[in-house]
Amino acid sequence: MSATGGKDGGKRRCSLLLRPYVSRTLFTAAVCTYTQPRSLVVLLPSSSSRTTSVSHGGPRGSHQRSRQTTSVLGCHSRRSLGGSKVLEKNVVQTPRQAVRVFDEVNNDVTPQPLYQADPGAVQPMLFVDEMSVGSASDQPTATGSFTLPFSRSVFGSSRISSQSTTESVDDEDMFSKRDIPLSFPDVKVKKDTEKEQVTEDMLKDITEVFISETDTFSLLDMPSTFVCVDADEAEATIARNHQYEEVCRNRVSRDKHVARSVQTLTGTTKNKHVQSNGLMVVDADVCMSTATNVTVCDMYEPLSEAEQEETAGICNPVKTDHSEGVTDSSRGADRSVSVGSTATTVSASGSLKEVEVKALNAETQWKLIMLSDKFQLCLQTVERSILQNSFHPQLAAYRQLPVLGDPECPVKNEMVEQRTGGMDGGPSLQCLWVFSCELSRGRSVSCMTWNRKNPDLLAVGHGEFDSGNQKPGLVSCWSIKNLKWPEHIIHCDSAVTALDFSANSPSQLAVGTHDGSITIHGVHSKDNRSRGVSSRESPNRHLGPVWQLRWTQQQVSSTGEEKVEALLSVGADGRISKWFFFKDGLDCIDLMKLRRIQNTETLTGGKRTEMMTERVLTALTPGLCFDFHPTDSSIYLTGTWEGLIHQCSCSNSQQFLETYRKHFCPVNCVAWSPFNPDVFLSCSSDWTIQLWKQHHLKPVLGFTSAQKAVYDIKWSPKWPTVFGAVTEGQLEIWDLSSSILDPVIVQPAAPGVRMTSLLFSSQADCVVVGDTDGHVTVYQLKNLSVGEQSQVDVLEDLICSAASR
Amino acid sequence: MAEVEETLKRIQGQKGVQGIIVANSEGIPIKSTLDNSSTVQYAGLIHQLVMKARSTIRDIDPQNDLTFMRVRSKKNEIMIAPGESICWELLLNEFHSPKMKRCYSS
Repeated sequence: MSATGGKDGGKRRCSLLLRPYVSRTLFTAAVCTYTQPRSLVVLLPSSSSRTTSVSHGGPRGSHQRSRQTTSVLGCHSRRSLGGSKVLEKNVVQTPRQAVRVFDEVNNDVTPQPLYQADPGAVQPMLFVDEMSVGSASDQPTATGSFTLPFSRSVFGSSRISSQSTTESVDDEDMFSKRDIPLSFPDVKVKKDTEKEQVTEDMLKDITEVFISETDTFSLLDMPSTFVCVDADEAEATIARNHQYEEVCRNRVSRDKHVARSVQTLTGTTKNKHVQSNGLMVVDADVCMSTATNVTVCDMYEPLSEAEQEETAGICNPVKTDHSEGVTDSSRGADRSVSVGSTATTVSASGSLKEVEVKALNAETQWKLIMLSDKFQLCLQTVERSILQNSFHPQLAAYRQLPVLGDPECPVKNEMVEQRTGGMDGGPSLQCLWVFSCELSRGRSVSCMTWNRKNPDLLAVGHGEFDSGNQKPGLVSCWSIKNLKWPEHIIHCDSAVTALDFSANSPSQLAVGTHDGSITIHGVHSKDNRSRGVSSRESPNRHLGPVWQLRWTQQQVSSTGEEKVEALLSVGADGRISKWFFFKDGLDCIDLMKLRRIQNTETLTGGKRTEMMTERVLTALTPGLCFDFHPTDSSIYLTGTWEGLIHQCSCSNSQQFLETYRKHFCPVNCVAWSPFNPDVFLSCSSDWTIQLWKQHHLKPVLGFTSAQKAVYDIKWSPKWPTVFGAVTEGQLEIWDLSSSILDPVIVQPAAPGVRMTSLLFSSQADCVVVGDTDGHVTVYQLKNLSVGEQSQVDVLEDLICSAASR
Repeated sequence: MAEVEETLKRIQGQKGVQGIIVANSEGIPIKSTLDNSSTVQYAGLIHQLVMKARSTIRDIDPQNDLTFMRVRSKKNEIMIAPGESICWELLLNEFHSPKMKRCYSS
């Protein structure tokens, strides 16, 4: 019950009538004053039960008419006092003070009121309309006075004002006011008479009962805060509003709050990744989609002519499908079959603008796909698979997979024959494939190297350095898996002369070029244009071409536990340098300077001083190659332009340990034997290959076959007595166990092409040969039957026998 | 991006390759070197096959995934490279002459 509304401001009260209903208990007395103005009341000797029932019935309004009629008077009688038989009429009519209660002994036991109402005060209107009767100031009735305590306790002063404001209520009130006093006397009189004459006759008499509608009880009065402009209290309301605004305005200055900003500290966000299984896509009906394809095609063709010129011809027939696809995707994540049906409806109603949008989406989607790494990986896989298909037998031979006969194929016999034919023939080379692409065609191969970690990866350096003019060089990294296109291409400014892969970080490739700079590239990245770390700006860089590079494990501590990898190079300026990273580039320290040494044999002892002075003044001689000892990585051999082979140590940068003299032309390559640590080979432009034993200053064996300079020589990683040599015009495979005079296999080069470099493959019995045409050919060694004896022993025996000679 | 185009051209130029189709994860062909009807037909059929194969592998081991598929028939071979959820690509390859030796492939 909103009593507060009434309390607040009587001025704001509207003309509505509803008034809240106070609890019934309060009403027991109050209700009793409710009267039926015109009802004839049969007053029976009051019994408490009756009155209470009436008292309950009273406030219910019209529902309780019958009850009310019976004992309204009774309630009246009861109203004023708890349960005694006191005539309420007196109470109603007269002020409170007039009511007197007398008991049998005629003592005045009038209960004193709990609340002494001031009769002069304006009495508020009561809850029920009828109450207002009593509360009318001009007719103070006992009812009103009696109920005052109750009413005031709830409503208070609101009633005072409400009384004056509610007009319509007043009417009723007046009416009721008028009536009640009028009725009371009547009722009262009748009541007296009835009381005395209650006989059976009376009971049989037909009594007239007048039923009338009760007045409206207001059970709930929530006065609204809106006042109609026409209402009487409008002026008062407006005035009050103004007053309030004034107060508010004045209050502002007196408020003690301060305007202040507050900073909310937001913590750093944390990314959280959630993994879930991919969505299951179920396509239930493919035919439907194809059917829709047809319709889309038909619809699309005339519309798409505007856009056909911007896309390639290949894409056009696909775009129709793709438009449907785009509509599918534009439908959102809905992937069910119903998408197909919606696509048809969309396409059927599509306008040209929609189609254009779809076409654009096709392009963007294709671009997105092209840029994604996974697609490139897919392409790579597919390419490799195709090539594997095409080169299946060759790759199988390379991988040394057993070749089975095809049971269904009728060519089986032929193959068997071939095999037997092969057996009969001597050792031979079979060309498996050729690494070549249009980039590398025509550019001479200068050096090759295998990757230390991935034996399928071969780096080939291209560069022309025979002629005077400098052409840009190229490094192409090939993989066995892709025979048609290199995996990685590095363009260099000048001709590439040396290559080596690092062992510690297998993707690092050191490239030495003709202008003396060394660059370290990362091969794994797809970016072909990234510049590697270079020594170009280093003040100590080589002044001539870098002829050979090598990453070696250098022992740092004396105990030999730490192995640090260092890059060493030998250059045409006669320096052997060790490189390390310095700032953005490389810098080096010199391990050795290759001083020119005169042939001491010709000089006699008398000229020693001269020699010594000469030594001081001599220039450096270009170093062409070097090789590190397989077990002791601080010892290395280096071949010079003069034809001398020096054995040096990393710790001694002044003196050579040994000098091997035999060649009289530049030594092109030296190679330690991987099986026999004391033995090494050297080849030179004087057409000879020399086999040396360490600390023996004269070669053990010398080989010569062709009258051509030998450019490259390599030991076979598998057989200790086999090595390969590349001369200008042919590839030679020597097997010392079978012959020391002639090579076992001779493979002539293609006409017009010179072979320049050689590598053995560690995985297969293959040799890789590079030539001046830019081709890298892979040959397989066939039928190279090597003896059953341990090869190393054979070599030893050979050497001993040769040395003893 | 240019490398991708180059690679595609190279693949197309290989011996025995009949065509390439690039499709997105929903099986809608995006790029194709075949004619329209074949493209559509292949795309629809192969998409189902790829989904089935992929679901098979993942049912057996949920952490596994399909990386490559080859379908060899009498006349030719279809190579399918499904890529994560982005796209897959397939190409047709004719077999070489029957003189090709059969080998074990690792």
